Amino acid sequence: MPATRPSSDLIIHRLASSDCEIKLKAIREVKNQIIGNRTKKLSYIKLGAVPVLAAVLAGADADSAPGSSLIVQSAAALGSFACGVDAGVRAVLDAGAFPHLIRLLSAADDKVADAAARSLRMIYQSKLAPKYDFYKEQDMGFLLSLLKSGNENLTGLGASIVIQSCETSDEQNILCCAGALERLISLLDGTLSQRDFSLESIAAILKNNPEVVSKFVDLQNGRALSSIIELTKDRYSRTRLLASLCLICVNNSSSCYLQDTGIETKLINILLELLDDSGKVGDHACFAFSSLVEGKEDVQKLAFEANAIDKFNNHLQNCALHPKRLEGIFIALAALCSKLECCRSKFLSLQALNKLVDALTYDDANVRTAACICLKNVSRSVKNLSAGYFMNERTIATLVRLLSDLSTSVRVAALGAISNLVIDFTPQKSRFIQCGGIKELVQLTKSMDSSLRLNAVWALRNMVFLADKMCKEEIFMELTVSSVASLICDPEPSVQEQALALVRNLVGGCMDCVEYAFAEDGIILDAVGRQLQKSSKIEIGIQGMYLLSNIACGNESHKEAVMQLLFSKAENGSHSFFSRFLLSNDSRLRPSALWVIVNLTFPASPGAFDRIVKLRNAGIVSQIKKMVNDPCMDVKLRARQALAQIITFGDN
Amino acid sequence: MPVRVLENTAPSQVSGTNSGGSSSQTCSLLGVGQAFSGTQNVSSVQKDEAWRVNVRIQGCDLEHGYLCGTMEALNVPMADTPVVTFWEGEIVDTKNYTFFTGKWEATPEDDIRHWSKFPSFSPLLGQVEVDGGKSLDLSNYPYIFMRWKEQYFVNVGTDCGLTIAGFYYICFSCSDGSISGFYYDPNSSPYQKLELKSTNDGRSGFSFSSYELQ
Repeated sequence: MPATRPSSDLIIHRLASSDCEIKLKAIREVKNQIIGNRTKKLSYIKLGAVPVLAAVLAGADADSAPGSSLIVQSAAALGSFACGVDAGVRAVLDAGAFPHLIRLLSAADDKVADAAARSLRMIYQSKLAPKYDFYKEQDMGFLLSLLKSGNENLTGLGASIVIQSCETSDEQNILCCAGALERLISLLDGTLSQRDFSLESIAAILKNNPEVVSKFVDLQNGRALSSIIELTKDRYSRTRLLASLCLICVNNSSSCYLQDTGIETKLINILLELLDDSGKVGDHACFAFSSLVEGKEDVQKLAFEANAIDKFNNHLQNCALHPKRLEGIFIALAALCSKLECCRSKFLSLQALNKLVDALTYDDANVRTAACICLKNVSRSVKNLSAGYFMNERTIATLVRLLSDLSTSVRVAALGAISNLVIDFTPQKSRFIQCGGIKELVQLTKSMDSSLRLNAVWALRNMVFLADKMCKEEIFMELTVSSVASLICDPEPSVQEQALALVRNLVGGCMDCVEYAFAEDGIILDAVGRQLQKSSKIEIGIQGMYLLSNIACGNESHKEAVMQLLFSKAENGSHSFFSRFLLSNDSRLRPSALWVIVNLTFPASPGAFDRIVKLRNAGIVSQIKKMVNDPCMDVKLRARQALAQIITFGDN
Repeated sequence: MPVRVLENTAPSQVSGTNSGGSSSQTCSLLGVGQAFSGTQNVSSVQKDEAWRVNVRIQGCDLEHGYLCGTMEALNVPMADTPVVTFWEGEIVDTKNYTFFTGKWEATPEDDIRHWSKFPSFSPLLGQVEVDGGKSLDLSNYPYIFMRWKEQYFVNVGTDCGLTIAGFYYICFSCSDGSISGFYYDPNSSPYQKLELKSTNDGRSGFSFSSYELQ
């Protein structure tokens, strides 16, 4: 008959026993029960085991044999609580065990110091761990002593602290100056575990920091870098991944450091091979791949030639993927398809789009976000948009539903994809309207979150591009005149810009549409005038000028309204923004302002002569005369065009 | 998109010179959304014929020398409806693309023969004969040279009796937005001329819409 296990309550009771032997036995029992068992950990946390263990740790005498055993066992149990469970980390920290564990690192008994280091390493694997202060000289000295230690657990703790706490470039710089990189490099010759955590720490110090990278590549006359290049060929997959991560940091800082070695192709192949690892290494390889190719067209081309899209797609077809892997694959594919048409065509030819649309409804919000980002990048193709490749009921209806997703990042990403898809190049845009998309978009333009507002207005702006009257009408009615005016005056300049671009598209095209700007006593036009007056952002000026150009190609009263906006308060200098735009250094703004003049002086419009007189009196004609030899061809030609129209009414 | 005609394409002499120029640079009249209309002359020895044609720019990526859009042929004899094709353009910016096509069955001689039909090309001829124009700086030239290649039929099937096997040599005037072009396909009538003007659809001026991909 086997012995019955004591109940959890009894164990908790025994933990508080005054008998050292009973207490020790109970601690061991807890430790053994919770190892790798999340449910047990949560259950003991609920029963209050952690504060009792912390009290044992704090109270035991490290110099006595029984005390030392109690500390070693309680530290191990506390570390186990903290391992992989945030609630455990929180409980250990709340129980005040952290400073005692730090204190015990300096204990004379190696076993005690070792146990404390192991426990702290567990805590430092969590984002909840206290942020280490690299700026305190004493703390930095302590960290370096950890990295210098011959004890694997202590060096491991030092590395974990760097990985967890080194976030800003100032922190990276201070670690670099203190010699942390040299210490970490020396650990590359150590055990497998030392090598791996050293590589991970080095990557944390190098990430997005060109200054530190430039110092790193010169370390030991380049031998440090060579050792890491060598480790990309290691037999252990995790080592290959971590060494690749370090090289990606170096390469992203400047491609010149690794130019001669053809390293990009090698890294692409290593990471693609690591995808075959079904565990975390394979998951992380996807994200590493994404950071290798992100924004770099030449590297994306190399990846395309290495059949990266086929390989990611092969993995995508595996139904039993972990959410992290699925997210990583979409993030990698998104990066690959961000610039090159050949990558997008390949993606579409492999039927990967079906899997992507499936992922839009996946349980995990990170997967939904990644799928939206991937769809956004794949749809950056006018050729495929024009072919109506994405405008099917399933995709559109799913995306519209995501506009009310609980996660903000999903909503922002869905808006990004919708912004591209609704360009669509057909005048009706009916599929999106039928799915109730306009209502959702308009709702999001009222969000408190500025990124949601921005992307919603952006999507509406793209949707109105070359839309027919009915579609414009629907959007305008849903938005309301006052909302359009408010969006033009939004606190965020990027929202203002998109709102002006939206109105530009609304009033562009057919003559009737110009009237939108005059609804409800012209409050939209007033808002445009105010914004142009006060904003210094070039893009706002450009959108505003094209908006006014579009109104100025309407009838006489439309043209007069533009004149009014530009010159009514000429005497107090309120028209000065227009002169300022004509004189701008920006070669996109100058032509946009000239188009307003071209349209105001358009031949055969009855009021052109009077407007020319006003333009002359306001000094605009003489300004245009100075632009006929502008270094920018577009400006020069538009100035000549405007002047030619003006001159038909006589030079004076 | 001319009629699929098989006839002898008697290559004309390389034309002499005229005056003009050519180049590529930002031009607001060649932006997305801009529309052009005019005709394509599809006359052959047997008949004299021209179609009305509308063109709309849908995409423009000057950094990569890329332009694309749709072309609509209106009174095509064998089609019930207007025929719309999607085309992609290579802008001869001497960085991404030179005057030499290097594909689509066009030899450098074919290229020079066609480009020379544009008066604005003549000042560039000498240099283009040397290196395809690679060393020319066209950034301040008031004409933009392009090749437009139709990629697919938007609203009809491939059995519509028209061909998109060839491509157009295009010259765009930055001053007034007018477009001239010549269709090239060894299997079609030679030098079918495309002539388009910037349109303003009854408006009293020029209208500019825009979108921005995310």
